[in-house]
Amino acid sequence: MRWSPLARSEYRTVLTSKGAWILALLVVLWGFRPTYAGWDAVGRNITIGYIQIGVDLFLPIGALLLSYQSLIGERTTGSIKFLLGLPLTRTQILFGKTTGRFVGIGTAIVAATVVLAGIGLVEHGTFGLLPFLGTLVATLLLASAMVAVGVFVSTVTRRTVTAATGVFAYFFVTLFWSQIVTSLYTAVTGIPVDPYDAPASGPLFLALRLTPDGAYNVLTNWFLDVGNSTELFHIVYTKLAPGVSVNAFVVEAAFDGGGPWYLHPALSLAVLLVWVVVPVALARRVFTRGDAV
Amino acid sequence: MSSSGPAIEANAVTKEYGDVRAVDSLDLTVERGETYGFLGPNGAGKSTTIGLLLDYLRPTAGTVRVLGRDPRRDIVEVHDRVGVLPDRFGLYENRSARQHVAFVAETKRVDDDPAALLERVGLGDAVDDDAGEFSSGMEQRLALAMALVGDPELLILDEPFSGLDPHGVRRVREIVHEETQRGATVFFSSHVLGQVELVCDRIGVLHEGQFVAEGTLDELRNRTASPEDATMEDVFVELTDARVDDGGEPR
Repeated sequence: MRWSPLARSEYRTVLTSKGAWILALLVVLWGFRPTYAGWDAVGRNITIGYIQIGVDLFLPIGALLLSYQSLIGERTTGSIKFLLGLPLTRTQILFGKTTGRFVGIGTAIVAATVVLAGIGLVEHGTFGLLPFLGTLVATLLLASAMVAVGVFVSTVTRRTVTAATGVFAYFFVTLFWSQIVTSLYTAVTGIPVDPYDAPASGPLFLALRLTPDGAYNVLTNWFLDVGNSTELFHIVYTKLAPGVSVNAFVVEAAFDGGGPWYLHPALSLAVLLVWVVVPVALARRVFTRGDAV
Repeated sequence: MSSSGPAIEANAVTKEYGDVRAVDSLDLTVERGETYGFLGPNGAGKSTTIGLLLDYLRPTAGTVRVLGRDPRRDIVEVHDRVGVLPDRFGLYENRSARQHVAFVAETKRVDDDPAALLERVGLGDAVDDDAGEFSSGMEQRLALAMALVGDPELLILDEPFSGLDPHGVRRVREIVHEETQRGATVFFSSHVLGQVELVCDRIGVLHEGQFVAEGTLDELRNRTASPEDATMEDVFVELTDARVDDGGEPR
């Protein structure tokens, strides 16, 4: 493909940056946390849980920080003038950038996953291969969604400071997503939301799982078979354990039976895919129109 | 698809930024094999025009053809056959000169030897040096080497002499000669007037987005009251001054 040299160059940029390896290190250090709750929840699959814990906190912000400069950086230094002079359409430039950044970040995150798996293997013994592979795929999907968002931010902004603001806005919105959703829900319906005893509302639970990291947790909890929720696996387990009260939104705790069909965990795959496709499509729309410098 | 016709053909091209008209109904034709000097004071619209030729920028009105094609619709084809030295560019820090040239060669799918191209622009000693540490003259030479990749039919050089020492200036001039000998068309913008008269077949003088004069150096001398031995600089100052004095009205 015409854009593969560009993708390779982006890949090299990511992997020669300290950031990618700091991200991998943080995922490993934060992820590895043996707990009784975790062990009770999934046994030896706790190793897969380590991946979820590390990835859920660090991958979204890490991948964003490693990709939001991809175009705006070249705009500010002026190297974009070489890039645009190459025999590539603007769409190909965008695809090359996105793919290269994704492969670079994906490589670092797979390395972190392999290290966590190795530690788990030594500490706890073998774990389920299928849930591990499923989690790996979900992790790479989350990485690609975050790269898509990062490249989108990089494309639609004209100044680095605006792009950085966009990244932190995204970060804070997703960090406080459940507070935002529950406040909106209460404002619209008048029903107060008590996270210890959440109302059995399909739309409320759906909204909670629309962020990339929420969808990622739903998927990985499904693979770990702990319950249907955007929370971390050991919290979901604790919530569903008899006689314990936790402030967590878990479908099985709120609904009798499995809840409405659209809360099926498999649909979180579609949520992640939307987070990949829509930002790329919007970025392409902006970048292929009008002036590029 | 035909690729016949002039190397560059712009018809009534206008580029506006809000209320500012950077390029104003410009007609420009550069024949194949020509060396064309695109002159003008800073802010005349030279780089904007070049941006329009390369589809970095999109015109507000008018049409552009490069090597007989639409640079927007046929961008891959056009850029495959064009070498670009941009104005006010930046290099990739932490990458060697060789990597810069190799990147262009890989994307253009040609097997040019980066070291040979770098030798040609006088960077033979710095092939594997980090471009982030280059002086402005070295940056300019590297950018020229990147423009030369794949023996382009058309070279578009935006201020190719800027930042160069006298050796560098001479080297660029020699390369422009070599490239035209090979059959390439060279289009370059400059405000370094002495170089233009040494190199160019034809000159266009741009001022406030419009041509105030176009032709060979002799023709330009004749257009003004300049004496026979007037330099390009005399001609240029007279042409652009006249425009400023009469309020910059179009021809």
